[in-house]
Amino acid sequence: MFYLRYLRAELLRRRARTILTMLGLALGVGLVIAISSLSSGLERAQKATLDPLAGIGTDLTVTRSASESEGPFGGRGGGGREFVEANQAAVTDLSKLGKPGERFVHDFFLPGAQLTFSQSQAKEIAALDGVAAVSSGLTLQAVHQEGKVPEIVARVRTGGDRIDVARRITPPTEAELAQIQACIEKQGGGTGGGGEGGGLGGRGGGDGARGVRGALLGPNGGAFAKCLPKRMQEFRATITTPRETLEQVVNPPQTDIQSESYTIAGVETGKPGMGLVTPAQVIQGRFLSAGREALVSAAYAARHSLEVGSTLNLNGTKLEVVGLVEPPLGGQGADVYLPLAQLQTLSGQKDLVNVVLVRAEDSSSVATAEQSITESYAQAQVATSKQVADRISGSLVDAADLSHNLGIALSIVAAAAAFLLAALLALSSVGKRVRELGTLKALGWTQGKVVRQIAGESLAQGILGGLAGIVLGLVVIALINAFGPTLTASSTVGGFDVFGVQQAAQTASRTVSLTAPAEASILLAGFGLALLGGLLAGATGALRAARLRPADALRAVD
Amino acid sequence: MSQYELSGVGRSFTRGSALIHAVEDVELAIEPGEFVAIEGPSGSGKTTLLQLLGALDRPSSGRVFFAGRDLAGLSEKELAELRLRSFGFIFQQFNLIPTLTALENVEAKLAPLGASSAEQRQRAEAMLAEVGLASRAEHLPTQLSGGEQQRVAIARALSVEPQVILADEPTGNLDTRTGAEIVELLAGLASRHGSTVIVATHDATLAGRAPRRLAMRDGRLLAAVAA
Repeated sequence: MFYLRYLRAELLRRRARTILTMLGLALGVGLVIAISSLSSGLERAQKATLDPLAGIGTDLTVTRSASESEGPFGGRGGGGREFVEANQAAVTDLSKLGKPGERFVHDFFLPGAQLTFSQSQAKEIAALDGVAAVSSGLTLQAVHQEGKVPEIVARVRTGGDRIDVARRITPPTEAELAQIQACIEKQGGGTGGGGEGGGLGGRGGGDGARGVRGALLGPNGGAFAKCLPKRMQEFRATITTPRETLEQVVNPPQTDIQSESYTIAGVETGKPGMGLVTPAQVIQGRFLSAGREALVSAAYAARHSLEVGSTLNLNGTKLEVVGLVEPPLGGQGADVYLPLAQLQTLSGQKDLVNVVLVRAEDSSSVATAEQSITESYAQAQVATSKQVADRISGSLVDAADLSHNLGIALSIVAAAAAFLLAALLALSSVGKRVRELGTLKALGWTQGKVVRQIAGESLAQGILGGLAGIVLGLVVIALINAFGPTLTASSTVGGFDVFGVQQAAQTASRTVSLTAPAEASILLAGFGLALLGGLLAGATGALRAARLRPADALRAVD
Repeated sequence: MSQYELSGVGRSFTRGSALIHAVEDVELAIEPGEFVAIEGPSGSGKTTLLQLLGALDRPSSGRVFFAGRDLAGLSEKELAELRLRSFGFIFQQFNLIPTLTALENVEAKLAPLGASSAEQRQRAEAMLAEVGLASRAEHLPTQLSGGEQQRVAIARALSVEPQVILADEPTGNLDTRTGAEIVELLAGLASRHGSTVIVATHDATLAGRAPRRLAMRDGRLLAAVAA
């Protein structure tokens, strides 16, 4: 086909122009591809890192604040103050760990600043408007201590107190008197109480009651007392509290006790799609199934030389480490994750949870869900993903913002520049070929054939430029991935935090190596841009060519 | 009826605010197979007249009849068809397509006819052989001398067996000897193919080769120059 050979000849034999146009388009397309890929990579990094709640399949987290003494969200009865105490009291009775001087290892589980509430209450949230699913969790601040049981223990002696009691008692009844009388008579003369007996006799039995009173108060009352009714005998007993010695550590001295804080979370294993930890975060091993299993954060595992298959001993309960997890940024990642029931048992928080993760029905119902939760539970503190994400800062955030704001603009500029260059080159090419085009017309080429030829050349340029652009884009992507700049994202945690564990203000940082995924769609879009640029240039050139009158074209001087 | 009949043909351009009459009031008849030279200095309107004859331009006034058809009544497409099949152009600058080989340059004329590639090639090769360039078929214009380039142009013009060859200063860019060779070639081939030849030139030697010489001054055709 002559036209195709002509086209090829134009591209091959005007190499400089072809390469220039191709490079121009390739630069634009490559830039668009690289920027788009980078943007897409940043978006991924951002999604994974900057949107921690989304990372755990959650739109809202619900915790309970300690502000009100009574509230509908209170589950365990009693006043709020007691609740706060229950939640914050850390009883560390070292004396119970063993004898002084003995080595001990113990993990103490301290409820965090977030108050617990019953698991059934957490489930009620599921029925609220806008809520699709809930998953509850228990996050505790744990202190691992090991060392010697301290020697210095306070001894507190208690008991041995004598208690005197004075109290009016009701006089004996007639029946009791008769009983007493019978008793005394039975023991009668044997006790040598003649005087009194005579006294009684002298009275001739006139007033039996008096005789009894006399006997009661008489010197021989001890023996006489045996005949008193039981309630009166008991009353006479002296109450003496038993003597005992309590050993209690008043101020535990820091001998060689090593203390280490870590956070531990109980998760509902039946809901792997959402929760304080999700299978997506598992970087090694597998997710929790049930029973005595644990997931540990990669950082915690590194600190304690734990790996998949290791055993974690928590106060005698042995748990198998089944996986390592990389928690999403936001500072809420716990160090150790257990099935919820396990942690509840270990920490003595039976049926209690302190955080409820809520997934809204869809993104538009997040606000509805938030509202219905705060309306139903005055004490509920609801945090949205956005609030969590807003607390994250760092170069990743800056880069992501930059890519959002500038990426599109840059792409447009790059594409526009490429288009402009291609169009200008096509125009100048037609300008230089005016006489050639005039000759073709003189040879009998119709307008259509000339325009088709010029447009075809531009389109071919577009294809070449697009292909070169893809190659260039891939090279840039490869370079980015090879020398991937690292970006950091940090989240300062403290004061208020998401999952209920009150931590000292600390900054959690994550470094993300920037990757630019080479997505087929981006490459295709880039190629499409080049074609579009080629067509645009072709149309410009062809339009110019079409307007040429052959006579004028032939008159043109090179 | 003559092949060409021109009556009252004029062509004017506006250049800036000035109206330039490139060709004015031309009356002319040319018979088939004639060899006509139009003589005149630069700017006398030779090229414009040639373009009017070759259906590359439309007159501002008057009528151009070719083979009994009024060119003014033809569409752009019909004019292109006419240029393709009936006319062959030869230019002072040779006007070869710089990116195409000698052979391809001839094929550029044949391509719109719609013949098969093989036929086109065969025909082009035959034409190059006729102008004595069979061995240089694959050379690009830049690799050819001026004379060779003009031979390619002649081969291209004659490849479709046109009724008319229109040559605008065909020897203008050639030395005297080469120019003479080209004129001989053109005249010989034209008579062999039965084509009318109309040459615009200010080269008296070339014009002297033509049986019929017309003189042009300021856009007007003067009386025929005596042979």
